[in-house]
Amino acid sequence: MSIQGRRGLRVALPFLLPSLLGAALFAILPIIISLLLSITSWTGMSKVKITDGFLRFVAEHSVGWDNFAAILSDQEFWRALSHNLYFIVLYLPLMLLFSLTCALIINAPKRGTGIYRVVYYLPVLTSWVAGSLIWKWLLSPVYGPINNFLSFFGIEGPLWLQSEVWAMPSIVIASIWKDMGFYAMVILGGLKSINIEYYEAARIDGASPLQMFQRITLPLLSSVLFYVTMLSMINAFQLFPQVMVMTKEGNAGPNGATMVMVERIYKYAFRYGKMGYAAAYSWILFVIIMAFTYIQKRGEKRWVNYDV
Amino acid sequence: MKTTKNVLSLVLILVLSILPIFAAGTQEAGKTGVTLKLEQFSGSDATLSGKALRGMIAEFEKQNPTIKVALQTIGYDDYFTQLQSKVVGGNAADVFELNYENFVAYASEGALANITSLLGDTSGFNDTAFKAFNYQGVQYGVPNSFSNVVLFYNKALFDQAGIAYPTETWTWKDIEVASKKIMNLGKNIWGFYRPFSFHEFYKGAAQNGGSLMSADRKTFTVNTAENIEAASMMVGWQKDSKIMPTDADMAGMGDWDLFKSGRLGMIVTGIWAFADFSANCPFEWDITIEPGNVKKATHFFSNSYVVSATSKYPAESAKLAAFLAGSKEATKLRVEASWELPPVTYPEIIESYLSITPPQNREAVFASLDYLVTPPVSIQQAEMTAIIQSYLDQILSGKQSAKVALDACQKELEAKISL
Amino acid sequence: MMFKKHINTVLYHVVAILLGVMAIVPFLWMLSTSLKSSGALLVIPIEWIPKEPTFFAYKRLFALTGIVRSIGNSLVVSTGAVVVGLLSSSMAAFAFSKIRFKGSGFLFMMFIASMMLPSHVIFIPLYLIMNDLHLVDTLFALILPYSFKAFAVFMLRQQMMGIPDAYLDAAAIDGASLYRSFFTIFLPLCKTALATLAIILAMDAWNDYLMPLVLMTSTKNYTLPIILNALSGQFKTSYDLLMAGALISVIPLLIIYIAAQRYFASGLQVGGVKG
Repeated sequence: MSIQGRRGLRVALPFLLPSLLGAALFAILPIIISLLLSITSWTGMSKVKITDGFLRFVAEHSVGWDNFAAILSDQEFWRALSHNLYFIVLYLPLMLLFSLTCALIINAPKRGTGIYRVVYYLPVLTSWVAGSLIWKWLLSPVYGPINNFLSFFGIEGPLWLQSEVWAMPSIVIASIWKDMGFYAMVILGGLKSINIEYYEAARIDGASPLQMFQRITLPLLSSVLFYVTMLSMINAFQLFPQVMVMTKEGNAGPNGATMVMVERIYKYAFRYGKMGYAAAYSWILFVIIMAFTYIQKRGEKRWVNYDV
Repeated sequence: MKTTKNVLSLVLILVLSILPIFAAGTQEAGKTGVTLKLEQFSGSDATLSGKALRGMIAEFEKQNPTIKVALQTIGYDDYFTQLQSKVVGGNAADVFELNYENFVAYASEGALANITSLLGDTSGFNDTAFKAFNYQGVQYGVPNSFSNVVLFYNKALFDQAGIAYPTETWTWKDIEVASKKIMNLGKNIWGFYRPFSFHEFYKGAAQNGGSLMSADRKTFTVNTAENIEAASMMVGWQKDSKIMPTDADMAGMGDWDLFKSGRLGMIVTGIWAFADFSANCPFEWDITIEPGNVKKATHFFSNSYVVSATSKYPAESAKLAAFLAGSKEATKLRVEASWELPPVTYPEIIESYLSITPPQNREAVFASLDYLVTPPVSIQQAEMTAIIQSYLDQILSGKQSAKVALDACQKELEAKISL
Repeated sequence: MMFKKHINTVLYHVVAILLGVMAIVPFLWMLSTSLKSSGALLVIPIEWIPKEPTFFAYKRLFALTGIVRSIGNSLVVSTGAVVVGLLSSSMAAFAFSKIRFKGSGFLFMMFIASMMLPSHVIFIPLYLIMNDLHLVDTLFALILPYSFKAFAVFMLRQQMMGIPDAYLDAAAIDGASLYRSFFTIFLPLCKTALATLAIILAMDAWNDYLMPLVLMTSTKNYTLPIILNALSGQFKTSYDLLMAGALISVIPLLIIYIAAQRYFASGLQVGGVKG
């Protein structure tokens, strides 16, 4: 078959079909449905069929933009949003530091880095259900190992998940433990694609390792670091499973300290019988994520180096 | 053209591997006999209650040879998420369990079948519990279990402190006095525990002559003087008189664990603690009706069996629900397993319930029913409960005074909860 | 100069090991707890290494109904997701990178856009769709959504764009069909990307909790995370049992990862790395 045989939609379609079908059914259609639901007062406690009178159902239960207005005028929404931002402020710098360090360690021209590659990635393989169980037990105030370890040094550890002040930092610690290895692998991918000749040239010029890191590694890695920041921020806005499992007792942690947006969405959808409201909430979250991504994208040129 | 052919066959394989499932989904059960799906969150497999439940089902199947029951027990945490998706898809079990908090919402949404005329003789049911599952004049469910809250006390600690045991005539004042004497026995011994939760608060408000809702249930009355006083007094047990341990004092220990460890004089908690305390308290204990401040008030929890509106066999389902909840055979098994309180009035069942000790003063369980107050009710029950709880937490943490918090609570409830 | 080099080496190992300890200590603690008798759980000072190790927790765990079955379900779902996912996304990536057609750019952007949407918020719509397809409460309802991941298409497309067209031309001259070239030339060349993707797909499918909770309505179809979470509700303080369960849930992925970890040697090439 000639080059001519690799042209045209008719040739491409059989290859595309499974994925197109999948994306249409399991990504795009759900999104359209959730958009329609977001303008309804549906409780999520009555029977609904998409193939049978769904549009009529939406029309009958429509409340227009009321859900959106109600969410934005509710103090609770802003509180949840601020908790998400608080999480990001604590999580992002630490996560970048730890995952970059891990990546540099694995990438070092030394023997035995393979073991670190396995060890650092271990938490990534763990489910949040299992991970949260472990961390709840690690952070248990009296019988947990962390506070027992601290007491060796005469430090009285906090109540962690049961303390309003420490609940969110506890979630951050567990999240860094779990995510560090994944982002390290992404950064490692970036490190591996840097041409070794740069370093060799620098070494001949007598540059120190620190100088090489500052002048070569960081600038060349900036696009990957940017990508990691963006990805982890999108994920941080969707913070949920760890919160759900670790602070499910009480109402979103002590005094609502771990009340975050997706946690609210889940509560409204599956606990408070406000499915339409929850759908609207998710669209607001989506817009916020989009806005942040856009702002970051615009700032990209300022600190990402594409010249080399 | 070979390419297209090959790729097409590939797609075909993919599709074919999915198809059998479509067929399987539309298959129907056999025609002779009926299989009813039963789902619940209480009575998990590995427990005594689970065994009792399987016994009840076996008995039902014996009496109704044409009906089979397929039981599925789901943990409480996941139960309501699953239930919701099943109701939405029209796949709810024929008979399922609902707690009181969720009952009103599902009833008002039309997810439940009207079983008023399908229940047969219902005179054996406890009236209060039975009526709780009536919504706008229609019976949508039958109570399957029933439990209330009483005052538990550690006899050993009272003996050591040389004070008389609590009685029905006690008030909050007496609790405080006795607690202080008990606490004199040593460090890390506490007098009293009563969680500052939604349920305890609406009851506490009633014990102080207040109420969270007007009598006609049309308006919230959360920030009345009586309620504010009740809230201040209840958090005062931790903050002022310090007879009750704070979360920091408990350091991750549960309130039941504290009682069982013999370091707590009195605890207000549910009668579902009987089995655990009987097995694990290395000291003598008993119960009495819980004290009020200006008057007595108690509350009850009840779960129910309801029949799905989409069930193909409403009559059989109602029969099953009524049998499991209120028949002599089933309630007998329930009592033997110490599985809460059967919601029935049969004398012999009550008698066998009372004959089990400890506690000695089991009559207090029934005597408490004379002072029942009903909880505030809304279609948005879970959300309302969460809102009130969030303000109680504010008061407890000392962030807001009882007055400021309850004023704000009243405002938020008026804005968000429709009555 | 030598001295400085030594300091650097020491510093390297100290940091590397500290991070390693941070990553692995929770697992060791989990292992230690799972081997304790229930009496040794709440002892102060705590036993870092159980004095009398016992497999009691594991025996109890496997005696519980549903555990073994849920592991089987999770295996089926993960394997299914990997097979369907790798096949469908590599086919699409091939079309996007090697076949020129109108609307290619637009379609690709659509794929990427669907990646941006919060996943937690679409499962009720997803449930409604699955219900109409009569797939609710079948493992297919999980396999299918887990399979179609936009980033898989994205990653494989990057990989395939790096493969010269000359391969295809040569194969064409030999009379090989496009279909055959895809299977015999392109898939083997993408081995590394396919292996890393396989692990990510398996991980997502194996570990997810909420989607199976909504889509699987009978306990016989439960996956392992649902059972684990139910255990944590039922046996709140039986940490030995919970840790045994958590450990069991990690082991299969761990084995796969260690077997395939050489493919991770060059990390995950996800971003558009320039330079």
